[in-house]
Amino acid sequence: MLEIKNLHVTVDGKEILKGIDLDIGAGEVHAIMGPNGSGKSTLSYVLAGRDGYEVTKGSVRFKGKDLLDMSVDERAAAGVFLAFQYPLEIPGVTTMNFLKTALNAQRKARGEEELDAVRFLKLVREKAKPLNVTDDMLKRALNVGYSGGEKKRAEVLQMSLLEPSLAVLDETDSGLDIDALKTVAEGVNALRSPERAMIVITHYQRLLDYIVPDVVHVLSNGRIVKTGGKELAHELEKSGYAGYGADAA
Amino acid sequence: MSEKATQKLVETYRGAQSALPGAGGWLARRRETAIDAFTQTGLPHRRLEEWKYTDLRQVLEKAILVPAPAHDGALVLPELHSATAFSAIDRYVLVFVNGVYQPGLSQLAHLSKGAELCALAEVLHEQWAKDIVERRFDDARQAEDIVDLNTALMSDGACLRIRKGVKLDKPLHLFFLGADAGASHTRNLILLENEAEATIFETHMGEVASFADIVTDVALGEGAKLNHVKLQDESSEAIHLSTMRTRLAASSKLSSFTLTLGCGVSRGQNFVLFSGEGAEANVDGAYALKGKQHLDQFCVIDHAVPGCTSHTLFKGVLDGASEGVFQGKVVVRPQAQKTDGRQMTHALLLSRDAAMNAKPELEIYADDVQCAHGSTVGELSKDAIFYLRSRGIPEAEARRLLVLAFLDETLELAPHEDARDALKLLVSDWFSEAGL
Amino acid sequence: MAAVKETVETVREAEKYKYGFFTDIESEKAPLGLTEDTVRFISAKKNEPAWLLEWRLDAFRRWLTLSEPTWAKVTYPPIDFQDAYYYSAPKQSAKLESLDEVDPKLLETYEKLGIPLTEQKMLAGVAVDAVFDSVSVVTTFKEKLAEAGVIFCPMSEAVKNHPELVKKYLGSVVPTSDNFYATLNSAVFSEGSFVYIPEGVRCPMELSTYFRINEAQTGQFERTLIIADKGSYVSYLEGCTAPQRDENQLHAAVVELVALEDAEIKYSTVQNWFPGDEDGKGGVYNFVTKRGDCRGKNSKISWTQVETGSAITWKYPSCILRGDNSRGEFYSIAISNGHQQVDSGTKMIHLGRNTSSRIISKGISAGQSSNTYRGLVSVHRKAENVRNFTQCDSLLIGDRCSAHTVPYIETKNPTAVLEHEATTSKISEDQLFYCMQRGIGEEEAVALIVNGFCRDVLQQLPMEFAVEAQKLVGISLEGSVG
Repeated sequence: MLEIKNLHVTVDGKEILKGIDLDIGAGEVHAIMGPNGSGKSTLSYVLAGRDGYEVTKGSVRFKGKDLLDMSVDERAAAGVFLAFQYPLEIPGVTTMNFLKTALNAQRKARGEEELDAVRFLKLVREKAKPLNVTDDMLKRALNVGYSGGEKKRAEVLQMSLLEPSLAVLDETDSGLDIDALKTVAEGVNALRSPERAMIVITHYQRLLDYIVPDVVHVLSNGRIVKTGGKELAHELEKSGYAGYGADAA
Repeated sequence: MSEKATQKLVETYRGAQSALPGAGGWLARRRETAIDAFTQTGLPHRRLEEWKYTDLRQVLEKAILVPAPAHDGALVLPELHSATAFSAIDRYVLVFVNGVYQPGLSQLAHLSKGAELCALAEVLHEQWAKDIVERRFDDARQAEDIVDLNTALMSDGACLRIRKGVKLDKPLHLFFLGADAGASHTRNLILLENEAEATIFETHMGEVASFADIVTDVALGEGAKLNHVKLQDESSEAIHLSTMRTRLAASSKLSSFTLTLGCGVSRGQNFVLFSGEGAEANVDGAYALKGKQHLDQFCVIDHAVPGCTSHTLFKGVLDGASEGVFQGKVVVRPQAQKTDGRQMTHALLLSRDAAMNAKPELEIYADDVQCAHGSTVGELSKDAIFYLRSRGIPEAEARRLLVLAFLDETLELAPHEDARDALKLLVSDWFSEAGL
Repeated sequence: MAAVKETVETVREAEKYKYGFFTDIESEKAPLGLTEDTVRFISAKKNEPAWLLEWRLDAFRRWLTLSEPTWAKVTYPPIDFQDAYYYSAPKQSAKLESLDEVDPKLLETYEKLGIPLTEQKMLAGVAVDAVFDSVSVVTTFKEKLAEAGVIFCPMSEAVKNHPELVKKYLGSVVPTSDNFYATLNSAVFSEGSFVYIPEGVRCPMELSTYFRINEAQTGQFERTLIIADKGSYVSYLEGCTAPQRDENQLHAAVVELVALEDAEIKYSTVQNWFPGDEDGKGGVYNFVTKRGDCRGKNSKISWTQVETGSAITWKYPSCILRGDNSRGEFYSIAISNGHQQVDSGTKMIHLGRNTSSRIISKGISAGQSSNTYRGLVSVHRKAENVRNFTQCDSLLIGDRCSAHTVPYIETKNPTAVLEHEATTSKISEDQLFYCMQRGIGEEEAVALIVNGFCRDVLQQLPMEFAVEAQKLVGISLEGSVG
């Protein structure tokens, strides 16, 4: 589903990613672990298409198409979803309005019929319930005044509603206590399917106890330095990142 | 009085003097002192602090300053959504064309008991009208001086008096249409006696090179409540100069909201004077400008007595080569302890050529007060646009959504629910039409 | 009880303005009044070259055509510019070879002011230029600075020894035509400091000028010029005091800063001119023009001011952010008590790309004083990605004082992000009560709370002066509560 070949990325003239190769098939969950500053977040932003991240070499193909050639919203409509480490607060735009606008924009881009208010509301409520996202939260401005846990749950709700084929979860565990983490992980696990791939970016192994990956990659200094099974995460938990040529975690 | 525009206006006065309402009475004498004062000061210009960003002298230099012709034909409304924005609301309507009251076009049937509504000329024998006209607000003199021009030349206007304890059952809609090029000088007088309540809508439209000079004087008795919604959607040739002066007695409340979606050069002045304790004033507004439109919002809130609350929030978006100005001032007099005064102004610049000037002032002479002001100017947040796009919302749509959300905060403050919904629709339309 | 109170008040009285003494020293003055001859007299006294005399005369002629600015929120009786002396110098041998030759009375004066100039007592790490009325008395650490290539000397000396630098930069930031007081200063400036930091040099010590008005009826018109060449750094501090007098003394200084590429200038002021007595009589009229020009890329100018003195302060240290990526900062504490009137603030003129500025202003008004912040943030059409953050906080102590905020925010470029916040508050009774319940006296508690309120700004001062400034905050507010 996703093929990354020799990807080099610079930010403000500084090379952050120095040749990433990654192959992720449908139904697979890949974890990317690494110390701070290793380039984890850069990888997620490049996939989503944020400005300021310049690809100097390499390619990214998504479902056989050149992902780098697409605009941010085209990528989203094609099925790329990024769960932000720090979801933005957008005053004045209610969560409900935002979700509806996003869903219908994607449906429209894919040539599907837009949902009317009634069908949309039914769908949102259905998706919101297991995530403990209340009607009150949906009426409030997007992420404004949400607690850390509420923000992450809202991100998972968006994912569940937009049904992407590739979900990138950027440090989704940061700032969560163990209960909030469980709720979020359950939400994510419910979305695992043979048609969907996921990239779980995290600093700690903790999250991977709940979202069990098929493959674990260690990213250090802009390169993938080791790839293994889920047991690799446990190894890292014991030994830390010291052996991977970067500042110890 | 060396410059031409002032001279022309004074000549207009001399020519029209005897035909203006109130000839031979107290108002005629008042007009004389006003024209003398105006002759002395002349039209304000940018070297005066309060007119720094809007040089009225220059603006009026080439304007048509003679009165617009009388107009009594059928009403032809501009083809703009604004023209019918309030149509669905059950209301009284007073129509003024070229500044002249049009009874035939107005709907005034069954005005509630205790409410009196008439044109300016008919109210001049009443003491309350005289009291309102003769009064002055002392602050920001250079901004208020221009009212002298209106006092000298005022020819028509809506005069509303609501008796003690009476609540006007429907909103009163004052509809001002500039149908022909030329000047009009309108004076509205509004008196809400103790515990009286009213809602007033104002619409200003015109597709001609008009110069509309409007002064609205408001007196609120104890516990009185006025809701005011003003909608301005004029052509880019129109010059609009309006001043609203409100005096609030104890425990009264003013909620005034202005939406500007079109103007040539517009200066909107708002003076609020608290004369009794425990009163509250909310003076808010939104604007969306494009082309070469110029809008100057000038707002002075005078806390002359203790324990009053004033909140001001103006938000606007500027496209094209438009220019926005916000000048605000909260004055807290020495005895006005326990004042709560807040003033905020935020602007978004949507184009390379747009410009914004803000000057939010505080002038505080009492220590036990809560006063704050804030101002921001900037463009849409790139992070917010990225976030929306990453959810599949195309860029144009994302921008539109964010801009509307930006304005929504202040639109929410419009004091009448149906009017608020109407204004929100208009703003949304404005963006569709502007191609944003 | 009554006796104790009396003693306290006597002490207070004595402490109120401890710099109010007068040094009885013979001086030489220009004739009373201001004419072209006065200008020629000053220029001749300083043995100035013809070009500088012409420059002064040009300014003088222009000044005659100007009228005093009236837009500031201050009131005072008209100033008779002919009833003042424009030059006064203590009589002593013209050229000093060492400190031993300085009149001991002068050294004593500076000692009393807390600025020891004698070798053994010099503040380590701070070079001082002491200006007494119209002339510089002594400059310390000259040799050490010379080793680093730093020029730090009185302006009159710079005119002689570095004419090319003076000619190039004098009036290049504040032109002679700038405003009424700056023009007056250009005509009659007598002394001031000149600083030049060569390319790549980090000035090895803090530079400091100490201004003292001594003579009666004498105006002080210093002119300071600081040039930081490419990649250099300097931190400069000025301090000011004057004797306690019934009449009002005029102080109209001009300070020009030039920062070239990658250079940084940090300019700090502790202004404590005599503020007038409790009835508002006397005190210094402080009408000052200070401006910095971030002329080069990545340059930075930072103004920090602690304004506690003067009857009237009219002062707007500004930054012209011309070089791309340049940065301007303004940190201010303005305290007014008694009958003082302050109208002060800054201008940040953004001309270059990616320029940024930060304004933190803390105004404290007490007594019957009036305290105004007036500031401008202006973004020109071609200035991309400008950032400004402004915060103006006012604190009122007592109900007879006033605080005003007059910000101007003007932008012609959509990529600018400008934020302005202002608040007004009083010292909370709860805070006072809490401090006092813990045994802190009321005035001390007020000083404590006010110092907390000013913390963001005090932190910007060089270490050596931060402590002094904190004390000054306390002293200026004495008698403001109770």
